[in-house]
Amino acid sequence: MKEKSGCIKRAGFNSRYKRFVLILAFLVLAAVSVMIGADKNVNPGSLLRLDAAAWQTFWVSRVPRTAAIVLTASGLSVSGLIMQSLSSNKFMSPSTSGTTDAAMLGVLLSFLLLGDQSRFVQLLFAFVFALASTMLFMAILGRIPLREAVYVPLVGMMYGGIIKALANAVAYRTNALQTLSKIGLGTFNRFTSFAMLWLVLIPLALAVLYAARFSIAGMGEDFSKSLGLHYKRTVFLGLCVIAVISAATFVTVGPIAFVGLIIPNMVTAFYGDDVKKTIPDVMLLGTVFVMVCDIFSRLIIYPYEIAVSFTIGIIGGAIFLVILFRRVRYGK
Amino acid sequence: MIELKQVSQAYGTQDILKNVSLKIKEKRITALVGANGAGKTTLLNVAANLIPAKSGQVLLDGRDICQMETIEIARKIAILKQTQHLSMRITVQELVAFGRYPHSKGRLKSADETKIREAIAYMDLENIKEKFIDELSGGQRQRAYIAMILAQDTRYVFLDEPLNNLDIKYSVEMMTILQKLVQELDKTVIIVLHDINFAAAFADEIVAMKGGEIIREGPAESIIDGETLKDVFDHEFHIIRVGERKVCVYFQPQPDREIKRSKDCFI
Repeated sequence: MKEKSGCIKRAGFNSRYKRFVLILAFLVLAAVSVMIGADKNVNPGSLLRLDAAAWQTFWVSRVPRTAAIVLTASGLSVSGLIMQSLSSNKFMSPSTSGTTDAAMLGVLLSFLLLGDQSRFVQLLFAFVFALASTMLFMAILGRIPLREAVYVPLVGMMYGGIIKALANAVAYRTNALQTLSKIGLGTFNRFTSFAMLWLVLIPLALAVLYAARFSIAGMGEDFSKSLGLHYKRTVFLGLCVIAVISAATFVTVGPIAFVGLIIPNMVTAFYGDDVKKTIPDVMLLGTVFVMVCDIFSRLIIYPYEIAVSFTIGIIGGAIFLVILFRRVRYGK
Repeated sequence: MIELKQVSQAYGTQDILKNVSLKIKEKRITALVGANGAGKTTLLNVAANLIPAKSGQVLLDGRDICQMETIEIARKIAILKQTQHLSMRITVQELVAFGRYPHSKGRLKSADETKIREAIAYMDLENIKEKFIDELSGGQRQRAYIAMILAQDTRYVFLDEPLNNLDIKYSVEMMTILQKLVQELDKTVIIVLHDINFAAAFADEIVAMKGGEIIREGPAESIIDGETLKDVFDHEFHIIRVGERKVCVYFQPQPDREIKRSKDCFI
């Protein structure tokens, strides 16, 4: 956490310097991340001596895990950023609008209907459910006028709670509660299934490519139209990006709360809401944050580890509360 | 050339525009005036294709606007609505860059950067270009929006009540800027105005609307007339001359009536 708060608090430095610090923090943490693990044989010395076993562990276990963190963290942060831009609400994110819960329901149903299928089928189910649920939630938000932006995450969490309860009810009826608790835990400790995560690269590339469009869409429908931007198409594209990222990360690492909510909030508080400008920093800060949490989770009961979703839940929850209080107090 | 041919528009069963036909004069400021609900804003929206017309045609350079790509329209018509985007924190420079979207689709080339720089310089925003628009005063923010429209580089500029929430000083500044756009940059400006005196002082042409129809149109001089305005606004106007310009006094009854009434009181 040191690196992050250090570079964020000193607002006097220019943005290029801050980004440089973020990149440095990212590189240091990535190096630390690949060196931590139960196998003590993997260390800079053995790698330099070209120890075959050490390199094997390094490539098969350490690198995929670190890559998974980078992809998941930047994916979730970016989907939060896009969601917040499109809805022009700072409290929107995949985990506070039922998207993650819907992905869970999708995965559960794929288990129940088709048995133990490939990750790809699970991903497809998760994607369809995440997309449908997010669109439904946006439609609901459009219908009920909320006086305060703070109510949006509350409504979102209730909405997510309903979907979660539905998943629980289905699981209870079909004796699948154990499956549900297994898929409902977020961890980077699933060595088998990171391949799906590379799919996140597609929506991430789209997000970077269409960043300017998401900013304009955030200014509203009439504004977009007057600049010749297809508003509805852009919103739909944004929701697809969010759904693919949510589904792919859910299927591979499980639910990771708060990242999509707090990271865009921290970055946009300094750089403003232009998606094009903030997207690299959002990815970087998200990765740094999740890496810190993951390293912490792996060291606290070393050589065992706790699920990263616990650590993120606790630290992220605290940061969310700070953001919430600041926004309520200063109306920002 | 923008031409409306028998355009009608309705929300539900209520007619907002009834068979409106209008040719917009090039390189002039045309003011749309009329009471609330007369259909001014709807007319502006239909002419810019933000709302499709229920019936009738809008022709832009001789082509039906409904058949054109929205991005193609956005290269010819820029429209500024009343909404203030205070929930979005973007800098002046980023806002102006949005104006290049119809040309660059979000990837700015050096020609786009030049246009953005020119627009910022023209509107005298250089020293506040890094500021967020929610930190600006109303006048500065409105100037930033105009800079965005300049960057959009369109022949037509539509504005929907741009003087709302502006101080008198900034309102006059805004209208002077619009005059400059017409005189120096050959733009055609169509503007919805609430205050008839701003139309009288700055517009070249006035289109007066009432109940979804255009009831009078012509050079500003000919519309600013007691009888005509009474017809448009259902209110008594007293026209006085100040130098070259006509000024409408509408906040007190006409002097001769005043006298009559006070006589009645004495008797």
